[in-house]
Amino acid sequence: MEYVLLIIGAVLVNNFVLNRFLGICPFLGVSKQMSTAIGMSGAVIFVMGMAAAVTWCIQDWLLAPLNLEYLQTTAFILLIAAFVQLVDIVMKRFLPALHGALGIFLPLITTNCAVLGVAVMNVQNESSLGISVLFSVAAAVGFAFALIIFAGLREKIERANPPRAFRGVAIALVTAGLLSLSFMGFSGLVK
Amino acid sequence: MNEWLTPIMWIGGIGAFCGGALALAAYYLSVPEDPRIEQVTNELPGANCGGCGFAGCADYAKALVENKTSPDRCPVASSAAVQAIGALLGKAVVASGRKVALVLCGGCNTEAIRHFSYNGITDCAAAAAIAGGDKACSFGCLGYGSCLRVCPVNCITMVDGVAKIDSSACIGCGKCVAACPRNLIQLVPEEAKIHVLCSSRDKGSVVRKVCGVGCIGCRICVKLSDGAISMDGFLAKVDYTKPPLTNEELVEKCPGKCIRKVG
Amino acid sequence: MKRLYAPFNFRGGVSPTYHKETTCNSPLRELPLPPLLTISMSQHLGAPAKPLVSPDDTVVGGQMIAAAAGMISAAIHAPTSGRVVSIGDAATPLGRPAPAMVIEPDGNHTWQSPLPPITNWREVAPRTLAERVGAAGIVGMGGAGFPTHVKLSPPADKPIDTLIINGAECEPYLSGDNRILLEHSAAVWEGAAIIAHILKATNIYVAIEDNKPDAVRAMEQAIPADLANASLCVLKTSFPQGSEKHQIFSVTGRTVPAGGLPMDVGCVVENVATTYAIRDAVINGQPLVTRSITVSGDAVAAPANLIAHIGTPFSYLVEACGGVSGTLTKVVSGGTMMGFAQASLDVTMTKTSSGLLLLSPSQVKQFTSQACISCGRCLNACPMRLMPAELSQYIESEDIANAEASFVMDCFECGSCAFVCPAHRPLVQHMRRAKAIIMAQRRAAGPRPG
Repeated sequence: MEYVLLIIGAVLVNNFVLNRFLGICPFLGVSKQMSTAIGMSGAVIFVMGMAAAVTWCIQDWLLAPLNLEYLQTTAFILLIAAFVQLVDIVMKRFLPALHGALGIFLPLITTNCAVLGVAVMNVQNESSLGISVLFSVAAAVGFAFALIIFAGLREKIERANPPRAFRGVAIALVTAGLLSLSFMGFSGLVK
Repeated sequence: MNEWLTPIMWIGGIGAFCGGALALAAYYLSVPEDPRIEQVTNELPGANCGGCGFAGCADYAKALVENKTSPDRCPVASSAAVQAIGALLGKAVVASGRKVALVLCGGCNTEAIRHFSYNGITDCAAAAAIAGGDKACSFGCLGYGSCLRVCPVNCITMVDGVAKIDSSACIGCGKCVAACPRNLIQLVPEEAKIHVLCSSRDKGSVVRKVCGVGCIGCRICVKLSDGAISMDGFLAKVDYTKPPLTNEELVEKCPGKCIRKVG
Repeated sequence: MKRLYAPFNFRGGVSPTYHKETTCNSPLRELPLPPLLTISMSQHLGAPAKPLVSPDDTVVGGQMIAAAAGMISAAIHAPTSGRVVSIGDAATPLGRPAPAMVIEPDGNHTWQSPLPPITNWREVAPRTLAERVGAAGIVGMGGAGFPTHVKLSPPADKPIDTLIINGAECEPYLSGDNRILLEHSAAVWEGAAIIAHILKATNIYVAIEDNKPDAVRAMEQAIPADLANASLCVLKTSFPQGSEKHQIFSVTGRTVPAGGLPMDVGCVVENVATTYAIRDAVINGQPLVTRSITVSGDAVAAPANLIAHIGTPFSYLVEACGGVSGTLTKVVSGGTMMGFAQASLDVTMTKTSSGLLLLSPSQVKQFTSQACISCGRCLNACPMRLMPAELSQYIESEDIANAEASFVMDCFECGSCAFVCPAHRPLVQHMRRAKAIIMAQRRAAGPRPG
């Protein structure tokens, strides 16, 4: 039950994009088309899950024993950036099909704040490795959820004919705000 | 260990470790890619207009390096850039002068008759499908802006029912040429200023009935132009492979008022 | 059972005002030859026919003047004897100009059909009869103009068990098929028997909408005693009941798959006028040179049903019906739902011209189209279960790929969506545009594999 609540909490109630406002740049950047949004979602879920595991290891095995917790942010940024690049290289070589689908999105997430955010949050919650990864994947699914809904809305808006002043990013931001408001409705569902 | 050396050491250590891993991975796991693709892409204008027929400049560069096309397909690149690409690929290229699109019709709403009222979507191909289009001249510009919507640089405007192209902004990509259902748009050398702005192949008597500025096939311009204008049936056509026309008399003498100086 | 009521009815469709009363009681009247005939070489779906004669040649009535160009094409015959004046582009009722032959009748009407009559058709091989239909230049006369001999030669792996003679005539104003059913009931049944023989079909239905009770009665009484499994099917009056895919569903309950043909479900649908022409071609050896046409609308003095020669100018038809009365604002070739607006009366009739409508200002609404309000009426009206609102917005934003993925190619342009649209959006025109673009793309990509 605890796990179910954790997942619901991360996906709906404390949605990373619409409630914590993390990862806004890819949310606005790659939401113009449903197909790219789905590709990006896959890449984010993969990277956030893996990054949580790597940062947990660094935190618990290196930074905590040496009393270097104050280096957390710097170390995490360094590690995540290198890790994503490594995944990109490895995937290009060994999984060209998957690289074709997710590859162009990987560099975009190198410094995604959502990835760093989830790593830091795991440390704050003092979760175990398993819970950390589960929470990260759930948070990434929440990100994917928001991104795909938003891409669907934007595809519709692209075809509509809004007033000149609202065209493009302006109407997209208004829509994002409304979407965020509607997700606020989930608050209170899980403590 | 003192307070400032420890963090420097550890972060440096982590950084060195990650960097080393990345370097090793990049060295041992790299996928070979032709470096010329990037060089050619840099030489291309980066307008991504698709005028070459490929999906953007990078795609064109790839096709060039793979020897699938020739460097003179890019309508935007300066001749120097084309030469540079030719040098990169080891090919000799003859650069052609800059070309701009021109609408070969001057039949604006005040001059050309519309013989029924069209009430439908603003698209030339759709309008032409209904009884041949509402413009009485079956060769004239319909003015529903199919060209205007495909222009990547927005240099086409609709002036009184006829498309006008701003030749200074035109990149000559040729998208409007393909979009026009009446094939009125042609790529012409930028230096050419005097044009026959009519595409009607009808006889003079028919043209007179439907348009005030149509070519009536009188052949006066053929005599005045030293062979740069020739007759194609009932229509005078400028041969753009010859040096540009300069004789202003052509404009004054044309009884159909379809020879005009543009720009 | 000789008369049955359609057990099914298709989903969607609309009920326009039919205006059939103006002409449904006016008997078919043969129209004399006009002073000049302009015969289009593109009267059918597919490649335009290839002219066999040149300007200044003399032709006799019934002579083949243009041959079918390829598999999907149809031959064209001279409606009368006379001189070929010229061959050049001329306007067609469908909108795009096409090559046409101008023939000046000599007034003698010398007739010499190249086709011998086949009276003992029951003993003749189906293939020979199908070839005869092709040689007579018969095309689907309901409006699509699909060459009939192609329809009558289904591949061996697609056996046909059901033949439906389409007498729905669901378009407003038109009543030519109604008159054929009333005046030539026995001939239509004989034509149906010939087609059933060609296709080896076991079930024959003549399908008529229930707003033509006298045609139903006449056809019921005329059912030949020797024709097994022939029945009359009364359809609910609804537009587009005359669309073959929908009629097959109404009569048999079978659904033609998306992108498929009626032969995929063992059915062939032939229009009443086509059936009558097939009988004429087989029994009398007559090529298709005349057809019934309804001249109607509130801007014509004496609306009538005429039998006119292919190539007759619309202006001549209007004169024969007493000319224009009042103000004429719109001319439509065909019915008001799927017909084509005409720019002038100089256009000439073809094998597919079922009607000529002259409408006064009171019948023609001028409107400006507005943005889609997502009311969903077109979704309810579309008989193909497409989403016209969604499709038109894809097309407006030039997203043709998405429109294709949403099955725009299944639209058969019946006009139901545009008819019900409260925002007066030109939905059918959007579909036509997208279909034209997709067809051009497919042609450019070359023949599809498989």
